[in-house]
Amino acid sequence: MKKLATVSLILALCGGAFYAVSAAEKAADPAAAPKEAAPKAPVECFESRKGASEVTQREIKPGWPNVKCSPTTGAALWYGDPFDGTVPMGKMPQLDIPEGQAVIKPRSEKLALMPMCGTACHNGVGPTFTPPTLPKGKKPAPVPTMAAMVPDLANLQHGRGRIWCLDCHHTTQRNKLVDHYGDPVSFDQPQLLCGKCHGDKLRDWRDGIHGKRIGEFVSTGKKRWFTCTECHNPHNVQDGARNRGFVQLQPEPSPQLPRGMANADHEKLHAVGH
Amino acid sequence: MANKQPPCAGPAQDLASDCPVQPASADPAANPLKTTRRDFLRAGGMLSMSSLMGTAALMTQSDNANAATEWAEHFQKNYRLMTPEEKNEARLRLERRYSDEYGKKVAVDTTEAQPGMLMGYALNIRKCIGCRRCVHACVAENNQSRGTRPGEKIEWIQVLRMERGKFEQEKMNHGYPEGLGIQVGGNAYTPAGQVLEGQYRYNPEKVPEADATYMPIACMQCEKPPCVKVCPVRTTYREADGPVVIDYNWCIGCRMCMGACPYWARRINVTTPVLPKEEMNPVTHYLGNRPRMRGVVEKCHWCLQRSRHGRYPACVEVCPVGARKFGNLLDPQSEVSKILERKNVFRLKAELNTFPKFFYFYD
Repeated sequence: MKKLATVSLILALCGGAFYAVSAAEKAADPAAAPKEAAPKAPVECFESRKGASEVTQREIKPGWPNVKCSPTTGAALWYGDPFDGTVPMGKMPQLDIPEGQAVIKPRSEKLALMPMCGTACHNGVGPTFTPPTLPKGKKPAPVPTMAAMVPDLANLQHGRGRIWCLDCHHTTQRNKLVDHYGDPVSFDQPQLLCGKCHGDKLRDWRDGIHGKRIGEFVSTGKKRWFTCTECHNPHNVQDGARNRGFVQLQPEPSPQLPRGMANADHEKLHAVGH
Repeated sequence: MANKQPPCAGPAQDLASDCPVQPASADPAANPLKTTRRDFLRAGGMLSMSSLMGTAALMTQSDNANAATEWAEHFQKNYRLMTPEEKNEARLRLERRYSDEYGKKVAVDTTEAQPGMLMGYALNIRKCIGCRRCVHACVAENNQSRGTRPGEKIEWIQVLRMERGKFEQEKMNHGYPEGLGIQVGGNAYTPAGQVLEGQYRYNPEKVPEADATYMPIACMQCEKPPCVKVCPVRTTYREADGPVVIDYNWCIGCRMCMGACPYWARRINVTTPVLPKEEMNPVTHYLGNRPRMRGVVEKCHWCLQRSRHGRYPACVEVCPVGARKFGNLLDPQSEVSKILERKNVFRLKAELNTFPKFFYFYD
């Protein structure tokens, strides 16, 4: 009888232990699941121009992201590391700063068609057209393949009809831009091209008045420079009727209303029309 | 009196004892053996000190870092009067407390102002598109309260939407438009018709709107700050490199500075700040973005935790149009110095002689 009691006691103990273990496993499962799921969803946000300056959120060190994104508009709201994914800017005329103090984020890899342009079709030895397709005026020729690939091309809003493709793009090396002297310019250094016409803006940009820089604010510090095309769409700088350099975008949410205020209509009232 | 305190009666009066105050005799010669007032006070003082220190030792050795910090903070001096050792102690104390509270390693910086540095800020009012990214970047960086109930959501930067005016020949001599920016009717509690110059809570589909211009305002970091003049406990002051800062521990929450500020730059924590653990920024400065407590005033400090280490403030880094510029006013090569040299610059409410170091400019 005593033996039986001990056996049953042992059994009961084991059962209890097993139950505890299984319960612990069950409890651990839901806790573990979100931890695994969280890094799987990549958060993409845009820095300056939607569709052109996307950045993927990732953790540089535990609990420290490279960038924080706005949940409402998907805009980059905070930089954990301003130099994440940058390369040296390269030579820039009339700019005396030590090598490596000016960095940029390369745009070339974001342009999906770029590796193909200069090799597959516009490589200088491609198919020859008869008659030559160069148009008479400065209006882009309606080539169906190009219009399908570059949507801005159909309605080029830059220079009000005075410029066209080959004023900026290199004639034979289509994955390059063209500078004052017909020499190719990298897509990562559009300022060398844009400065051809917008010289005043180039001067202000070089001194840090126009455009944006992030990093160290002292004049000798390391900075990430935003190049022209990171903020402006060169094919649509006028943005329709607005005629400004920057496209419209969705604003972040407005501030909280104070206690007891139903809406903010009173802000729109003006006793005197003006 | 004497028969009420039997243990105190007797010859052993010269020792430091627990006796309450002895009634002072009218004639000192009548009771020559009794302790003098000075002796008694000395003994009592030592006793109370030792008991305080004992309690302090008990409190600081307890596991609750929060309670220990609060205890030690009762004896903390004004930040400007603290020695480097005391500042270091305060720093360690706060790091321990915040790390305990937010479940991650929090650094509290006490870096001092560097010589040869005078921070300045410039904003291109033509470029601003009113997207409010600076407002929310500031919240992400500076550990403001971000609850949903009224008073729990604090933002330091305000973006005002201003209507575009135009110059009309016949109105050139009329001066400032009548009634603009002035309350019309009612009283201070129920304004019948408030007329504001700027809209603060505009919310269109897309910005910038065609008929609007935007004007962000925040603390102007005045050279002659009215808020510093009125502070009764002198907890807010101008740092040597420019920003006007607040020692939150000495703030009594009287809101005199909020009334004095002509730029509506200061905010008060009327509730206990709501700051989720995962959103808390662990890189903090003592005078800057360390988590605040209830009942203290806070404001923009040009991200001291960043700018003291040479980095741009958070609002400058996120501005998508590059309207915000930050630099050293003493360095002729800095961005802000070049703007002052080359562009058209104005300061908000310059007639008040507050001498802000925040400049608005346009191309």
